[in-house]
Amino acid sequence: MALGDAWKQLSWFYYQYLLVTALYMLEPWERTIFNSLLVTVAAMAIYTGYVFMPQHIMAILHYFEVVQ
Amino acid sequence: MTESEGNKNEDCHAANGVKPGRNGMVKNHHHHHQYQKQEKVYHAACNGELYSRPFIESFEETPMLVAVLTYMGYGILTIFGYLRDFMREWKIEKCHIAREREEQKDFVPLYQDFENFYTRNLYMRIRDSWNRPICSVPGATFDLAERSSNDYNWTFEYTGRVVKDVINLGSYNYLGFAENTGACATAAGEVTVKLGVGVASTRQEMGNLDRHEELEKLAASFLGVESAMAFGMGFATNSMNIPAIAGKGCLILSDELNHASLVLGARLSGSTIRVFKHNNMQSLEKLLRDAIVHGQPRTHRPWKKILILVEGIYSMEGSIIRLPEVIALKKKYKAYLYLDEAHSIGALGPNGRGVVEYFGLDPKDVDVMMGTFTKSFGAAGGYIGGRKDLIDYLRNHSHSAVYATSMSLPVVEQIITSMKCIMGKDGTTIGRSRIQRLAENTVYFRRRLREMGFIIYGNNDSPVVPMMLYMPAKIGAFGREMLKRNIGVVVVGFPATPIIESRARFCISAAHTKEMLDRALDVISEVGDLLQLKYSRHKVLPSLDRPFDETTYEENE
Repeated sequence: MALGDAWKQLSWFYYQYLLVTALYMLEPWERTIFNSLLVTVAAMAIYTGYVFMPQHIMAILHYFEVVQ
Repeated sequence: MTESEGNKNEDCHAANGVKPGRNGMVKNHHHHHQYQKQEKVYHAACNGELYSRPFIESFEETPMLVAVLTYMGYGILTIFGYLRDFMREWKIEKCHIAREREEQKDFVPLYQDFENFYTRNLYMRIRDSWNRPICSVPGATFDLAERSSNDYNWTFEYTGRVVKDVINLGSYNYLGFAENTGACATAAGEVTVKLGVGVASTRQEMGNLDRHEELEKLAASFLGVESAMAFGMGFATNSMNIPAIAGKGCLILSDELNHASLVLGARLSGSTIRVFKHNNMQSLEKLLRDAIVHGQPRTHRPWKKILILVEGIYSMEGSIIRLPEVIALKKKYKAYLYLDEAHSIGALGPNGRGVVEYFGLDPKDVDVMMGTFTKSFGAAGGYIGGRKDLIDYLRNHSHSAVYATSMSLPVVEQIITSMKCIMGKDGTTIGRSRIQRLAENTVYFRRRLREMGFIIYGNNDSPVVPMMLYMPAKIGAFGREMLKRNIGVVVVGFPATPIIESRARFCISAAHTKEMLDRALDVISEVGDLLQLKYSRHKVLPSLDRPFDETTYEENE
């Protein structure tokens, strides 16, 4: 059951994340707030990267004079 | 006195278990040198006169990543703590903690609001790991009354279930005298029937019974001193007697990690207090020299006396005091030594006489030998031993002797019986076998935990074993997971330890059998893998259980 094993492994990783960030000690609604904030910030970072990546790559290539 | 650890590596193989038989001496030396960087080893050949046995103590450094993550965890908890406090202030959430009434708002605050921040927001969340109610005698195993909480540990209800035979790794039951059957319990029962439970008077009035005198004579012969005096409470022994022997114009040099009773006694005495780094003889010598050269702060008069306050075993670190060096320093600079053997009496030394016997020193070198009967003797109370004129002075001038009720008789009987058992005076070898079993259990437990990869603090011979946890969530998680698997442990966090160095403290007992220890070790290893607690970065070579012979070389290849 590869799916069962993957689910077990994922839940172990989630448990480690809870322990390291001390969310293990917080109540469920506090965990929801923290996770939502984290996901929001990560999503914003990914979106910004997605929007600006072509411009950044062109600027780097221009700096190294690979393309005009 | 000021030994250097760096240049002794070449000869000291056997002291920390590295086998001299391995081929590849260069590689051996390199491993050895890396291992030495965080460890001080004093081998007999290297520092011959003072130490008659190797003194192996190690406090491994906190891994950087773990420290950063721990701070991050505490930061997140602090932010959520502020959020909850805000909600309590604005009445969005019901406040369970004690607060002042509205009418008292303009008065000086009674409850220090911010200092309880830690209690309200961090301690309460994992409070179910402490103050667990037990319902049997806490020997090697105990029974636990199970609790559950519906409002996140603010209140508890009993589920009605009793968890049976939880292995006890938390009691200071070093020699296993915490039992309700046996010679001690029978003797205490008899004396209760004959002479009653309470004394209801101080030592100087009606409370001095002949059993008290016998206890003091027995304690004096146990310790090897001229005379001893017993008090009803161990904490009060320290806090009420240090003011009697030190006062204004005296200097107290106390170790960094001394117990609260010693600190309180030193403060109550009114002497000047200077603190030296934990177990650090260079720091102590520097303070002594400065004190003698410069004298009292403004007048530069010589100090009336200099008193060094140390403990035998420090219970939070598991370290043993470097007693030979302290005594050498005390003799050189003519200071007095006050040794608090709360954890080490009964637990160290081939006959259980404490840290003085462990190092093979003369008890007359220690001026004031203090200890408690709480840990190894299974009773309550404390004692002070020393020269006869000191103890006679204390009988008149100690606050505890004049004002505190004397010890109650069942407790006195328990101490007398257990002390006779340890000394062998009751005609059996129970005491001797318990001391040996404690030493074997200690060495075995520590070695196995080190091999598993946990960070363990302290001396190899101390029965107090602190295991580092570091992260705040792991404190609660460790306590709960161990209880689920039927092992009771004590976890310690911030006010008792530095903020990032939270730990689980195991206390080994002579009542633990090897099967219990093996079961406990397997469970600790399992929980350690589940919570990722195996932080140690030393590769400790597992040492063999049998002595050397021709076939041991192949094992380690």
